[in-house]
Amino acid sequence: MKNALTMIFERWRCGFRWAWGHKLRVVVLALVLVMLAPRQVKSQLLDPCCAVLVAGLTTISSTMNNVIGGGLTSILTVDRAIQNFEQTVVWPQAQISQAQSLVGSTQGTFTTIQNVTRIPVNSATLPAPQQLEQILLSADANQISRTSSSYSVVYGPVPDVTAASQDVRNRTDMADAAAQAAMKRSIAIDNLADLEIQAANQINQSLQTAAPGSAPIIEAQADAWLVRANAYTQAAIADLMRVRAIDLADAGANIKSGATNTTNLGQQLINLLKRQ
Amino acid sequence: MTFLFFVMFSWFVVKAKTRRQVLALVLVGTTAGVLVAPPRVQAQTSLVGAIQAVLNVINGVIHSGLSSINSVRTADNNFYRNVIWPVQLINQARAQVTQMIAQFRIPMWSIFRINLSSATLPATQQLEQVVRNQQTNDFALLTTNYGNAYGSVPVSTAASPPDRAMTDMDDALALDTLKTLKKTDEAGTLTLQAGDQLESGVGQAAPGSSPFLTASAVVASIQCQALTQKMLAAELRQEAARLAHESALRKRSATYTGQVGNQIINLLKRN
Repeated sequence: MKNALTMIFERWRCGFRWAWGHKLRVVVLALVLVMLAPRQVKSQLLDPCCAVLVAGLTTISSTMNNVIGGGLTSILTVDRAIQNFEQTVVWPQAQISQAQSLVGSTQGTFTTIQNVTRIPVNSATLPAPQQLEQILLSADANQISRTSSSYSVVYGPVPDVTAASQDVRNRTDMADAAAQAAMKRSIAIDNLADLEIQAANQINQSLQTAAPGSAPIIEAQADAWLVRANAYTQAAIADLMRVRAIDLADAGANIKSGATNTTNLGQQLINLLKRQ
Repeated sequence: MTFLFFVMFSWFVVKAKTRRQVLALVLVGTTAGVLVAPPRVQAQTSLVGAIQAVLNVINGVIHSGLSSINSVRTADNNFYRNVIWPVQLINQARAQVTQMIAQFRIPMWSIFRINLSSATLPATQQLEQVVRNQQTNDFALLTTNYGNAYGSVPVSTAASPPDRAMTDMDDALALDTLKTLKKTDEAGTLTLQAGDQLESGVGQAAPGSSPFLTASAVVASIQCQALTQKMLAAELRQEAARLAHESALRKRSATYTGQVGNQIINLLKRN
């Protein structure tokens, strides 16, 4: 123990002696130590910089509450008013459901109508008319090609050259053509009407599950179908007018033919009397 | 880092052999300290400026932005309520629908239901009644009453096969048309009901639910067009049969004329 204390004392004395001999180095090291020593931290409560920071943050918070919070609250109030208006006045769910239900009810009415239109109306009793009637009421465009043969069986063919004059043959052929075309058109129109009803049912079904925003699209499609249906109706009316025009032409031709025949008969009677 | 620098600097200072070396070390150490040491942080003046800048942003850009958004939303709200969907006009439209239903529906129904029957004889009265009753479950009665009024197809001994076929075809297409009209009469009544339903629905609709009813009305129009087309098809068949009938008579007339001519010639030859 004594030896250790003696050794420490010797070391201190040696060190002091070195420091006394190297004063400049000791001063330099002391200065560097002072410069590099860690600084004291500033206290939050007493430092004026922190007080400024706190005041600034408080002001920012207050400003954000007033300016941003107040602005957002105003926007939220207006948005809620708009939302309430849209939900209660413009697109009330109850009225939308009621309208969808009404569409379903209308569909039910038209399903009944569709069933009514399917009731058969066949009335012919003899084989040939039954066959022609069956084709005419088939509402199947594939049956149109069978119309002419069945027509000829019931109404007879155009007379051949030896059986009638060319005038009579022409008028007969034209009348038969117009009558057959009208019959064929009636088959096609029936078929088209069935397809239109089918399409209308599909559109109505999609309408029952539509949204207020998609219903106008479906309505536009239905409008397009309505335009098409009008065109088909016009085609049917056109054929009806053709039949009536041919009928009128035929009535006029009858008078012309009667006048010609009367003249010819008179001439033949004169010739006969001259011979006697 | 600072500690390491101090240890190394101290070591070199202690080990330096001359004063010049000590001075050189002091110069090198000072230069290194100046170059490597971080710059001192700006103090209070910069902090106040930064806070003021944030406040300026909030009071300037954000405040004016939010005010603009609020103005636009308020304008939207007013536009919706006053121009696009004014509640007063919506209620007025509904009231108009209700008023027009009361004004027109029953009078028009009464006009449509006026009895048009005009036959005076028993057989034709029965036929007319069946023709106009808008029922589709009495087609057999229609056929019977039609036969009573217009007669039935002649038996095979009473008329030639072409005459019988043509008569049967005429009767068949006339009956087909009468049956089709009974069907469309019934369908027309149902269509009127559908129209009434839609109109009543419109009287309670909202702007957002009315597109459903509009679309449904268009679909109903398509179906009405289809029914009209079926009526036109029946009319076409009937008119075509009338023309075919006249044409067939002409064919037969031509044949008979030829036969009579031949018989007269034969008669004259005998004399």
